[in-house]
Amino acid sequence: MVTINYAFREISCKIVYYGPGLSGKTTNLQYVHERVPAKSRGDLISLATEADRTLYFDFLPISVGDIAGFATKFQLYTVPGQVFYNATRKLVLRGVDGIVFVADSQRSKMDENVESLTNMYENLKENGIDINDMPIVIQYNKRDLPDVVPIEELERELNPHQYPYTEAVAVKGSGVFDTLKRITKIVLEHTKKKTSVGSPAGQTGGSEDEPVGVTGGASLSSTPVSGIPTETSSPATAPKPDSGPVPRMRPVPPPEQPAAQPQPTEHATPVQSPVDTAMEAPAASTPSSPPPPSSQPSTSARAIYAPQRSLRVRSRKHRSLFSRLFGWLFGR
Amino acid sequence: MSSQSFVLMEEQIDQINAIILRMIKKAEAKCALLVDKDGHLITRQGFTQSLDTTALSALLAGSFASTKEIARLVGEPEFSVLFHQGHKDHIHISLVGERCILAIVFDDRTTIGMVRLYAKETSDKLKELLTRAQADNNNAPELDPQFAESAGSKIDDVFKD
Repeated sequence: MVTINYAFREISCKIVYYGPGLSGKTTNLQYVHERVPAKSRGDLISLATEADRTLYFDFLPISVGDIAGFATKFQLYTVPGQVFYNATRKLVLRGVDGIVFVADSQRSKMDENVESLTNMYENLKENGIDINDMPIVIQYNKRDLPDVVPIEELERELNPHQYPYTEAVAVKGSGVFDTLKRITKIVLEHTKKKTSVGSPAGQTGGSEDEPVGVTGGASLSSTPVSGIPTETSSPATAPKPDSGPVPRMRPVPPPEQPAAQPQPTEHATPVQSPVDTAMEAPAASTPSSPPPPSSQPSTSARAIYAPQRSLRVRSRKHRSLFSRLFGWLFGR
Repeated sequence: MSSQSFVLMEEQIDQINAIILRMIKKAEAKCALLVDKDGHLITRQGFTQSLDTTALSALLAGSFASTKEIARLVGEPEFSVLFHQGHKDHIHISLVGERCILAIVFDDRTTIGMVRLYAKETSDKLKELLTRAQADNNNAPELDPQFAESAGSKIDDVFKD
């Protein structure tokens, strides 16, 4: 299933190399990876066993650049050819847009070719894919080996549907690009046919929703940069503790005698317990200054109120100590 | 269904991006990728510059597909959530509707619980949006009539020995 992303102006197609074990599917991808210009390809990823046999799939993304206003990409996959990996083969076939069946031309491998081809049809069917509507190219590989089956016989045995075919020697690179060109062209032709619905709009932005400025690609790279940095400084970090801790901080009652605070110099008038006024000053000034916590974001409220509580506790303790001390002094 | 093209318009991608970005902010994740089950990247948000998102998408889809098969073997229709824990970075993968996967990369600045919470919410929203997008596919604009022709010469340029 071709994915067309009109926002980024991208078309992405999935091509799978299928075939029996050791027929040269991974070798095809390795050669493509070696020869395609670095700017047009990504890394070749191989999920292989210790013995270098494909375990899950090989993956090679290739970009052929801008075609009619769309960045066109092909994702090349291989399947594990060994018989007992059928479950993973079926998974890799999901959403396939085109298949290259890599057949081993050696006479001794004919049975395996037939078995693998039958298996491919079965797996396509199980994935709900109509084989009559699937671009397929058959590659007869290993044509340089001594005991190879003639093309006519291979065609008769393996290609009753008359799919296009190529001859190849993948280890030497012969026929590899020929095969790839064939399948990619057929896939794009097929894509074109399948998307021929609705009103013709063209790539110049004729449709209602289509991006007029054709800047999808640019926005792709710019959005991640502009998106996140702002968010870290935004108040998004404080959603949950909003109402939790604040009421607990609030029980700190306003100072008992707020009127006493304006006269820190009242030391001289011991008539009205100078101790209280002296000790009241720090305690009274701190809690009275902040606005009611309900109007504040919770995080800042917490930051302000937490130290106050500890201050207040200390001041009460000290107050009782000092009042006892002064009481004892004045009492004498 | 599998043979049907999946067409997304810019407006729809913008909406998807907005939903994902909001989730990243709330969950304090690093980045998120929306990938279809076939391994194609649909969109990405957050700090993705250091990531090979194309390869990551293919591998995520592969991972999810194989997990689905494992689920089937143990009698579950599907494991809807996957979590990979690393030393610094972790990945939370969840299913979005029938055909997409949301992968969220996050580190120790946040918690799996937060990510999970917001991923669930986001998946639901995206599912709805993608279902609508799927329904609108018939209104998608046609490709350039010269598309296949111009592709031919381009392909010949890139694929040569």
